[in-house]
Amino acid sequence: MQWDLIFSNALYAAVAINAIGYALIAVGLNVHFGYTGLLNFGQAGFAAIGAYAVAVVVAQYDWSLWAAIPLIFVGGMLLGLLIGIPTLRLRADYLAIVTIAASEIIRLFLSSERFRWLFGGTDGLQGFTGDMQELNPFSGRFRVWAQSFGAYDLFMILVGWSIVALVSLLVYSLMRSPWGRVLRSIREDEDAARSLGKNVFSYKMQSLVVGGVIGALGGAVIAIGNRAAQPGNYSTTLTFFAYTILILGGVARVKGPIIGAMIFWFTITLVDNVLAEAVRTDSVPEWLPSWLQVTDSNFGQVKFIIAGSALALLVVFRPQGIFGDRREQVFDVR
Amino acid sequence: MIRRLLCSLAAIGVVILATPSGGASAQDDSEELLRGNVRNEVEVDGEVDRVPVEGVQLTVLDATGAEVGVVTSDVEGRFELELPGPGDYTVRLDEGTLPDEVELRDEAQAELTVNVRPNERQTLNYFLGESLRQIQGRWDVLPQTIANGIKFGLIIAITAVGLSLIYGTTGLSNFGHGELVALGAVTAWWMNQSVGMHILLAAPIGVLAGAAAGFLVESGIWRPLRRSGTSLTSMMIVSIGAGLATRYLFLYTFGGRSRAYREYAVQSAVDIGPISLTKRDMVSMAICVVVLVGVALFLQRSRQGKAIRAVSDNPELSSATGINTNRVILLVWVAGGALAGLGGVLLGLDEQVRWNMGFTLLLLMFAAITVGGLGNPYGALAGALLIGLAVELWTWVFPGAVELKTTGALITLIIVLLVRPQGLLGRKERVG
Repeated sequence: MQWDLIFSNALYAAVAINAIGYALIAVGLNVHFGYTGLLNFGQAGFAAIGAYAVAVVVAQYDWSLWAAIPLIFVGGMLLGLLIGIPTLRLRADYLAIVTIAASEIIRLFLSSERFRWLFGGTDGLQGFTGDMQELNPFSGRFRVWAQSFGAYDLFMILVGWSIVALVSLLVYSLMRSPWGRVLRSIREDEDAARSLGKNVFSYKMQSLVVGGVIGALGGAVIAIGNRAAQPGNYSTTLTFFAYTILILGGVARVKGPIIGAMIFWFTITLVDNVLAEAVRTDSVPEWLPSWLQVTDSNFGQVKFIIAGSALALLVVFRPQGIFGDRREQVFDVR
Repeated sequence: MIRRLLCSLAAIGVVILATPSGGASAQDDSEELLRGNVRNEVEVDGEVDRVPVEGVQLTVLDATGAEVGVVTSDVEGRFELELPGPGDYTVRLDEGTLPDEVELRDEAQAELTVNVRPNERQTLNYFLGESLRQIQGRWDVLPQTIANGIKFGLIIAITAVGLSLIYGTTGLSNFGHGELVALGAVTAWWMNQSVGMHILLAAPIGVLAGAAAGFLVESGIWRPLRRSGTSLTSMMIVSIGAGLATRYLFLYTFGGRSRAYREYAVQSAVDIGPISLTKRDMVSMAICVVVLVGVALFLQRSRQGKAIRAVSDNPELSSATGINTNRVILLVWVAGGALAGLGGVLLGLDEQVRWNMGFTLLLLMFAAITVGGLGNPYGALAGALLIGLAVELWTWVFPGAVELKTTGALITLIIVLLVRPQGLLGRKERVG
């Protein structure tokens, strides 16, 4: 086994563009779920809107990338309003079902043949990152330990983490403000907040929009960093991964989703690479029954199995994650 | 002009293209594979549109003339067949299974010989065109669309009743319910294809697997969690995580392909007035109706059924009147698991077995029980029929966007929540 390659690859994944995008998406989810107690299961929909808002107008209508950036915010905001109006007055489980349904509707439309002329079908859209690539001051390839990466990747990592820092600072100050305290009080006891004269519906809507916009930004970062917007990247699995990341890092903590995203990507990349290497060098365990055997066609599924089990086990055994605080009773939202 | 070009293109023979893979699903095993699309070219507003054609039967013969297998195009017009190895194969399209209004653009396509190299995925695309026979009007296909909607609605109903009962008695939105459906279908497939049982024997084993899984998760996971006072939100996230892990375990072991049961996979339809159904469809609809009536009678008449309804109504009060709440919940899980397994087997018969068939159905099940009114089993039934119809009628209203048909159901869900938030049969409740 080439352990140096495997480890450097996993360490790179912990800081690379997907970790950045997932961190942002989980930060948005933290505003919804961690601070307000909203069970949003459609965060992938927000991310998709952010990615395609940029991709469609730049790739199909020749806008400048910079002119398209405000559309990320508009798109996230509109989707938040659209989902929030019918559901925020209902019980929490309705919100969960409707948000997951909305994100599936979005994904189905984005991947449909009918709208291939606009969204590019299952292949998605490419060629909308020219403006970003022109801005890139680096050139050549870089090598850290055994991992090599391109100039654009390095540039996007720097840009991406700056965005994460800015957004985290924003969330940090928002949650220390009176506005943030109202959100927390809604999470703790909605009726109490209402009896104090707070318009709970309006605050929930604001939270949905703020977290949604951050999620849209995360989706756009993934699309711009990977130079492609593909509907397969924005399935419900993305939402579930974001929950795993959030709970792993610690709910209702500013650094929770960021550290969660890094650990998450490090772990699943490590597992993926170890299995790929085991299959390649023919050193898979012999004692496994044939139907459970690791092969070159199924080792890629193991990371999903691990992520799903991790989500379930964390919620049961360590709901506060790594940095969370047990006093923040997020899990009692009803 | 474009159309004529396409005709002549089709006339050359088969167009062999390396089409990009259809779904986001994993393309697994690196064996030889034959796949492709059967599509009807329709001219709408001067533009050529390709509409998938379902139910077209293709027979594949090997070089010696022995039959390798028979495939039928699915609802998206796709077909897929594993081949035993590389070599020359003859693919014969059964023109009798084509819909009345279309025929092959080129007769030569009815029988084709293809060469398959090792590990190759050979793609065959069939283009159909309008025949000169009388074209079936839009209103003529409406009864068939409604029949398909009811058929699909009944399968949703049978799986959603369990989901609704679990929600009613425990308050849990079980996001892993789809995996119980897939478990039933996959177990039956495994018994059928790998062990070699007849599907009529394998199907009850699939149902049993669902029931056993229901028993295990209730006694092994949910009861201990309830006892330790875990909140419903946590339990819901646990069900999501466990469902995700199970789903990908299916993909890991079962592979990413659709697979059919050995028996009853190909049947010709019987015409009943304007509707044509296969015997398989009729039998599975009959099974659904009988089981659903049985469940309703059980809930209304039997002691245990009344106990279930009492626990749904008020768990504390029913516990105080001497009902063993935990036993009732266990019963609901076992019955719900069995019903989900049965739904999975029937769905597998209808549109083949897939690793993520349960998750695809899960959103429709949730739509059904939400539209019907959360926690009300009869609401789940009504909601399921409505959702099944919404899915099929979408294809009738928008024939050019078949791949979007689930959105019809999900949009129905959102509209119902806007107009009548408590659902069709739900009780009004002030929440915020």
